Amino acid sequence: MPSSESIDPACPEKSAFALLAGVHLKQNWRRFASVLKQSKLLSITVLTFIAGYCWLSFALFYRAMRFVGSFPGLGDLLVERMIFILFAFLFALLLISNMVISYSNLFRNKETSFLHSLPISPNSIFQWKFLESTLVASWAFLFLIAPLLAAFGIVERVDWTFYPLTVVMILLFVILPAIAGAWSAIGLARFMDRRFFQYTTLGLAILTLLTLAFWLKPDVVTDDMLETRVMLVLDRLLKNTQFSQFAFLPSYWLASGVISWSEGAYSATFFFMLVLLSYGLFWGRITSTMAGMPFYEAASAVQSRGSLTSSWKWWQRWQEKKAKRLNQWGPGLLERFCSILFWIPSDSRAVLVKDVRVFWRDTTQWGQSLLLFGLLAAYIINLKNFSSQLNNPFWIHLISYMNLGACSLNLATLTTRFVFPQFSLEGKRLWIVGMAPLGLNKVISIKYTLACLVSMGITGTLIFTSCRMLKMPAPQIAYFTLVIAFMTLTLNGLAMGLGVIYPNFKEDNPSKIVSGFGGTFCLVLSFLYIVGGISLLALASPWRDHQQIWIIASGWTCFAVLSLVLGYLPYHIGVRRLRHLEI
Amino acid sequence: MIELKDLVKKFGDLTAVNGINLSVPKGEFFAVLGPNAAGKTTTIKMIAGLIKPTAGSVIVAGYNIQSEPLQARKRLAYVPDFPFLYEKLTPLEFMQFTGQLFKIAPDRVRSESSILTKRFHLEPFLNKSIEGLSHGTRQRVAIASALLHDPEVFVIDEPMVGLDPQHARIVKDILKERSKEGMTVFLSTHQLSVAEEMADRIGIIHQGKVVAIGTIDELKKQSGQDGALERSFLQLTAEPDKTTNQS
Repeated sequence: MPSSESIDPACPEKSAFALLAGVHLKQNWRRFASVLKQSKLLSITVLTFIAGYCWLSFALFYRAMRFVGSFPGLGDLLVERMIFILFAFLFALLLISNMVISYSNLFRNKETSFLHSLPISPNSIFQWKFLESTLVASWAFLFLIAPLLAAFGIVERVDWTFYPLTVVMILLFVILPAIAGAWSAIGLARFMDRRFFQYTTLGLAILTLLTLAFWLKPDVVTDDMLETRVMLVLDRLLKNTQFSQFAFLPSYWLASGVISWSEGAYSATFFFMLVLLSYGLFWGRITSTMAGMPFYEAASAVQSRGSLTSSWKWWQRWQEKKAKRLNQWGPGLLERFCSILFWIPSDSRAVLVKDVRVFWRDTTQWGQSLLLFGLLAAYIINLKNFSSQLNNPFWIHLISYMNLGACSLNLATLTTRFVFPQFSLEGKRLWIVGMAPLGLNKVISIKYTLACLVSMGITGTLIFTSCRMLKMPAPQIAYFTLVIAFMTLTLNGLAMGLGVIYPNFKEDNPSKIVSGFGGTFCLVLSFLYIVGGISLLALASPWRDHQQIWIIASGWTCFAVLSLVLGYLPYHIGVRRLRHLEI
Repeated sequence: MIELKDLVKKFGDLTAVNGINLSVPKGEFFAVLGPNAAGKTTTIKMIAGLIKPTAGSVIVAGYNIQSEPLQARKRLAYVPDFPFLYEKLTPLEFMQFTGQLFKIAPDRVRSESSILTKRFHLEPFLNKSIEGLSHGTRQRVAIASALLHDPEVFVIDEPMVGLDPQHARIVKDILKERSKEGMTVFLSTHQLSVAEEMADRIGIIHQGKVVAIGTIDELKKQSGQDGALERSFLQLTAEPDKTTNQS
């Protein structure tokens, strides 16, 4: 009775790819509809936020390009180079983003295991997962690049054909980092276990940051040189960015195509479009037809905890030694360190040790933090190299406020990504953590304190260093450091509070917890707070010419009230909700 | 129907499955028992083709799961202990999706789904989103969907987790019924009573090896223990006394 007889050869056949696409479309549509149904206010807020972001970034890019383009004789050259550099960096970010998303989507996903047990070829599974990863990894890129290209088009006064053309070129372009990211993810999964991956990521990140810090270090330019040998200076200033014009970089093809069209060199644009298309087709064909088996092998290796290191004797001996040491019942290094903090009760220390361990063992957590803040650190360290050219206090203050903005925006993405889901993740362990005499309020306060201390250590150091690099006087250094400390407390309080108010105890994956209602709300509020807070502080800056005292006082008061409302209120409401929490 | 030949799986230095040879004929209800980390789930994952064996082979319904995976999987159903389901679909939609993946004619999907949902008491939940269902109901949805294509081989890991006694009974009855009709069942469990009640033969895996195999009576004989299966199981999986070894 059973068997393949039930499989009807005459059944109208839908490919596995089409079936999976259909199921996912249905799922995503329902998710979207449920968000709309849940709160119209939130939907309107998110849409307004997106529109506001697009407008703001367009305005910034437009003004920046107009400003740079207005340099006599050099404007066009500088704008052109700016486009090449931006696209090169976006390409690098897209590559990393594709690699991380492909890895989790291909190998850390329950659906993949489910699909592997069905009569679907690994190739079909890979093709679907590849498309899914590409879409998830690339949508943010489209958001980043759309206002930039719109601004470029208006500054260059291009005709309407420029806009549809860039859409086509971008679509051709995003395929390439997606392919490279997917193959890198397969390679990583096949040959590295979690620990090996952690060490390699850490090593590569440090190496990249050191290289960036060294590579981007500008040469010292004297006033005399600026007046008499402009071309030479310009050449020296731009030589470190020449990598963005390396002819084999896909970002070079995209940038060249876009710039050529704006200059009316249509044949050059078609040439670069064909280059993108041919590379996309070539690698796309190879990937879609040949990645199935390596993908299956890697998926099997991930489930088997296979690693390149299993054949390295010295590594095995080191791991054995480490395991032996850990198996001893004495306190670990972290516990011994925490025992120095004798004023903290032992139960609170236990939660502290647990949180730090969980954070360290989840590579994606600190990996992303390291990348974001590492790039910022590399930039800040390099500030000293051109601070000597910044004589005008206006520029020094503008850069300081921009540093504040960049640092807090980085922090906002991290608090939303890591602090917001903390309580939801703990929900699964409430049988032990929640039932302990410690109490949930205490657990939340420990998490909040730890998040604040760690993030304040990073943001405070970065802002302090940036002010020092800009050779600011002590009162201004203290001012900016105090502001970032205030913002750190607020952003952490907001994320922690909203995390408790909008928990998701069903989900294990923090990124999925964040993508829900509460996470989106947290991100939107954090960004609005940063934009609002920094605008208030900039308007009330005591270092502006002819600044009136009442403006300073009211600006600072508004900032303090805003911080208090957004930092304290959600946290307070969250803690109150804990009293009546039912799981 | 299921043949494991010299099956080995190594995780680095650890040998999780160490040369298992096993044959489960058509229509047999085979239960595999073993302590935690004995190698049961690893064996099941190799049968389902989720992981590659380090050595040896797995033949499912006459097809090698590694070299002819699609042929083997058409005839196989695998339900893990925590099965994956699409959260935003309804059980009905999930069954339709499964039917389409196995290329079953829509009429047949409808009729089979209707029978299975009735048997598994899933009718009240058919149009509800899966995300709102209890663990037991989800487990029943997964088992019903896995039976939709009339598999020749049914591999299931801890089927009774989260099921209340009434629904556990239903699952047991359906699996036994199907087994009598010719479906080979390979079940892994920690519940000795389930194995005792359901299985035609039981295999005990310990430290990656099959240490005993046979009917309940044969197992008792092999272990030299009378009485409940528990005594035989404990005897067969007993750890050697370290103090005795050292001395």
